[in-house]
Amino acid sequence: MTVELSRPIVETMKLKKTYLLGKVPVDALQGVNLKVEKGDFLAILGPSGSGKSTLLNMIGALDKPTEGRVFIEGVDLSTLNDNALADLRREIGFVFQFFNLIPRLTARGNVELTMAIPGLGKDERRRCAEELLETVGLKERVNHKPAELSGGERQRVTIARALANNPKFLLMDEPTGNIDSKTANEIVELVKRLNEEKGVTIIVVTHDQQIASRTKRTVQMLDGLIIEEQVN
Amino acid sequence: MKTSDIFSYAVSAIRLRKLRAGLTTLGVVIGIAAIVALLSITQGLQTSISRQLQTGFATNTLIVSTGRGSFIGSPGAVTADSDFKLLANYTQLIDGIPGVSMSAAVVQKQGRINSSKGEELMLTMVGVDFAKYTSIYGSTFLADHGEIPLDPDNEAIVIGKLVADPSDNRTSLFAVGDAVDVIWTNTSTLPFRDKNYAGHITAVLKEIGGFGIGPSDFSIYIPILRAQTFFGTDECNTIIVQLDSDDGALIDSVTDAIEEAFSGEVSVTSSTAILSTISSIFATVELFLAGIAAISLLVAGIGIMNIMIVSLMERTREIGILKALGMKSRTVLLIFLSEALIIGLMGAVIGLASGWVLANIVTIAFRGGGFSPGGQGSQVATNVGGMSITPVLTPMVILGALAFGVLVSTVFALYPAWRASKLKPVEALRYE
Repeated sequence: MTVELSRPIVETMKLKKTYLLGKVPVDALQGVNLKVEKGDFLAILGPSGSGKSTLLNMIGALDKPTEGRVFIEGVDLSTLNDNALADLRREIGFVFQFFNLIPRLTARGNVELTMAIPGLGKDERRRCAEELLETVGLKERVNHKPAELSGGERQRVTIARALANNPKFLLMDEPTGNIDSKTANEIVELVKRLNEEKGVTIIVVTHDQQIASRTKRTVQMLDGLIIEEQVN
Repeated sequence: MKTSDIFSYAVSAIRLRKLRAGLTTLGVVIGIAAIVALLSITQGLQTSISRQLQTGFATNTLIVSTGRGSFIGSPGAVTADSDFKLLANYTQLIDGIPGVSMSAAVVQKQGRINSSKGEELMLTMVGVDFAKYTSIYGSTFLADHGEIPLDPDNEAIVIGKLVADPSDNRTSLFAVGDAVDVIWTNTSTLPFRDKNYAGHITAVLKEIGGFGIGPSDFSIYIPILRAQTFFGTDECNTIIVQLDSDDGALIDSVTDAIEEAFSGEVSVTSSTAILSTISSIFATVELFLAGIAAISLLVAGIGIMNIMIVSLMERTREIGILKALGMKSRTVLLIFLSEALIIGLMGAVIGLASGWVLANIVTIAFRGGGFSPGGQGSQVATNVGGMSITPVLTPMVILGALAFGVLVSTVFALYPAWRASKLKPVEALRYE
């Protein structure tokens, strides 16, 4: 039982990923070992091309490693088929740099869609979506489409969407990369609050030192390897 | 994901590109409308022809003519190496065959008649026994004006509806009681010589319309004996045989008996055989027309495929998002298929309605325009004009059109939908 409790929420072992860029193989990850415990707030830092987004995609079950293993709550992802992976993704909250909202749906529609995928009922969806949008401070903007929202507002919708299915953890890829610093600050506050008050586990990939300094832990990546770990 | 949610998501995607979806739907509409219009018109035509055939066609009759295998016993089709002649008095022989209730010889020539006002009309002259003919073709050899004499004097003439009124506009050229000059040109001896005699009209037939083997609107009927002396022959073109019933076995046995009696020199055609030949011809025509219409639906299907592929490219990123949110490949497939299904169903319903409207417009135009008999209209056109076609929409056609529309659109969407479902989430998300 104690083993169960101490099991990390995310764990990677000797994770390697080689891409073919045209005909040239690129080693994006060269053996990454990472453990993330429940309630952690981890920033992955590193220059572009260091493999941090690739790592995030592996953890999010969006991509498959060339070698090594990814475990989510002790489950080896390589043992799962496509359907099981899809089911797993429902329990992971993604926040993308470019928001990736569905343009024709309203803020609420986007959040609702996430809950419609596992088959949640209409009324339930609506209530939850409005609650979540209120949490991220968008109570007044629920019926606006992404094009009618500012960058910061869009990112809040994305965060609300990521939280929709009570995820095991949030994965954020440069969440402040496309918004101004003042709004970015607000987003960081929001994320930090989610971690502190609601105990949401968060893994964030960023360039932004401002974010990194407010996480619990940072890892530094270079050339597909973790070169430094630091507890803030 | 719930089915209702899949559908409403598909609808939201269609509504985003209304014009494109509209044009794609139009393709299906045209295909289905063409099929429905063509099928309902041919079926209407078939219904109206069979109705006419059944009234004018006495199903308990056989037609005996010279020559073998000729369809509808074309007159004079004697086999090359035979000097067999079908004589009018062979009816006595036929009457002796069990199952035959009576038989009547028919002598038929092309000729003309002149009215006292000097108007001349080309037509078919038919020499028949009025009493027997009335009995065989009770439903069509009927007088509209005057009376058909069962024991006619030699000069009695019964005329078809369109002989009395060739322009079909109720201005009669010939009427009961008129004296007419019957003219026939004997072309069997040189020099050609006109023969004529004076007859009088005793009856005008009711309109028969359509085609048929029995009486026609554009013939005159004279007593058989008069015809034989006038044409100077004891040959006849056909012998119509009336049977005790229209039972198939009886038809077969009498057919065999007649062929045997004449050592295979005659061909015997039953009305039911002609009916079934005609309906099989119609089945072929229908299939052919439906095939042509199906091609337009095929084009529509390719249109759908094209649009789905374009849509797939445009929405690659969206598919990536959906997959990142945990949507299964199967659900992505269903969303794309639903979009095609909605387009196909809409197209089929609209196509069905417009095809039906089109069929009605065409048949109305057909009735009022081109085929109506004009003053100098040819006989064939006149005959066709006598028939009115009402398009028929059978439940088979309705269901078939709907099913076909839906089927074509989903089948052609299968490939794009499958490709969409197979997209890898990372690559789809990275797609610009």
